[in-house]
Amino acid sequence: MTVLGLRLGLLALLLAAWEIAGRMMNPLLGVPPSAVLPSLRDLVLLRSYPDLPASLWLTIREIATAYALAVAAGLGCGFMLGMHRLIGGAWGPMLAALYAVPAVVWYPSLMLFFGLGAASKIAFGFLLGFFPIALAVLAGIRQVNPQLVVVARAYGAGTVTVFRKVMLPAMLFTLVGGLRTGLALCVIGVVVGEILGSKAGMGALINHAYGLLRTGDYVALVLVTLALVVGSDALASQLERRACRWTE
Amino acid sequence: MTVRLLQLATVIAGLAGWELIARLGWVDPLFVPAPSAVAPALFTISGGALAGLADTLGKTAVAYVLSVVLGVSAGVAIGSVRLLRDVLSPYVIALYGIPKILVLPWIVLLLGYGTTPAVFYGVLHGFFPIMVLVMGAVRDVDRTLVTVAQSLGASTWQLYWKVLLPAIVPSVLGGMRLGVVFCLLGVLVVEMFAGVRGMGHVLGSYANGFQAPELFAATALVSVASIAIVLALDHVNDRLSRWRG
Repeated sequence: MTVLGLRLGLLALLLAAWEIAGRMMNPLLGVPPSAVLPSLRDLVLLRSYPDLPASLWLTIREIATAYALAVAAGLGCGFMLGMHRLIGGAWGPMLAALYAVPAVVWYPSLMLFFGLGAASKIAFGFLLGFFPIALAVLAGIRQVNPQLVVVARAYGAGTVTVFRKVMLPAMLFTLVGGLRTGLALCVIGVVVGEILGSKAGMGALINHAYGLLRTGDYVALVLVTLALVVGSDALASQLERRACRWTE
Repeated sequence: MTVRLLQLATVIAGLAGWELIARLGWVDPLFVPAPSAVAPALFTISGGALAGLADTLGKTAVAYVLSVVLGVSAGVAIGSVRLLRDVLSPYVIALYGIPKILVLPWIVLLLGYGTTPAVFYGVLHGFFPIMVLVMGAVRDVDRTLVTVAQSLGASTWQLYWKVLLPAIVPSVLGGMRLGVVFCLLGVLVVEMFAGVRGMGHVLGSYANGFQAPELFAATALVSVASIAIVLALDHVNDRLSRWRG
């Protein structure tokens, strides 16, 4: 109870500090919460940016495409490396080393190759989402107790049965965690791509508002994008919980 | 041994395949140059790109030191005080989780172009993973050790210095390993978005100028640099954990 009260108190304090600081600052740069609400209303009522639904929909479609590709490639690559000892031993460390490169260095090349449109955002979202999924599959396969696989095989289980009944339950927790991280990174990749250079989508609107110093609209657009981010993660967490219940 | 050979073979086969595809004209050399075109570009860009890389790494180093110092101290402070941890944890999770790119335009509006926003944004990226790891480690320190130390009359200072700090060393090292990539990422993003110097700016201007060989060479340079940094940290980590026993 005290904890909850203190949390809410801190939130109120932060908002108050933001309000005071925002009012003292140059109105082009500082936006107090009281000024954000009207901007948010204008935005939601499509007064300030009439193409908001189209942009939001474009961003969602980019995320969905990038994620579908990342899941397919990540699972495929992860299982290929995990099932084959030699290939896994050779390519696994290379994959991990590539993961250590800050992914944003690839973005200019992707933009050059795929252009300013949706394709470069999809490619970048894919690139960010691919690694955690592939690495989660690899880690998951390592968690499977090889003795169980041997026993199941000795009792005459086929490859499909071994996979469904032995491997999948053992690695599901890690696998689903990787899929959730992958989605979060896909979303970030698409949004980063759009903000670094695009013609349409939420990132383009944010850049437009920022470029014209419409800071109130900028904050409102950020809040809408944030809702998209939080919503996608909430969905993923629901699916994660359901998948983990299945193993019990 | 076989593994090393296979890795080497993979790299060579990849480069050869790429060269072949480029030579056969399946990709437009304007967008994807052959490796044989990228290699000479490494020399032509070396002057400007190395200066840019040094600039970027300098900013990253400042951001990294700040992230580690602030992250570890905040992690220890929040992790060891029960009330602070309970009250702040939802804020920490929220701040850690939101995509920081969304506040980047505002940071640039407030701090302008150049070094300051790059360092600030780098710290923003590096600080949270380090703090969250350290916070968790401090929370999970063996209670028995703390109780024993206290009952033997250890002062608060001794408790922190002799019990808590040694116990959290692995997490601090893990956080440092994770944090450096995030710091570099943050600095590069700012340089691409609103940079006037540094590797991010160099990459962005090669892309805008359709100088594909130079762009690929510069990308390779940054990638090699960051892989080298991470491998070096891993090596230090290995040595230190062997020393801890």
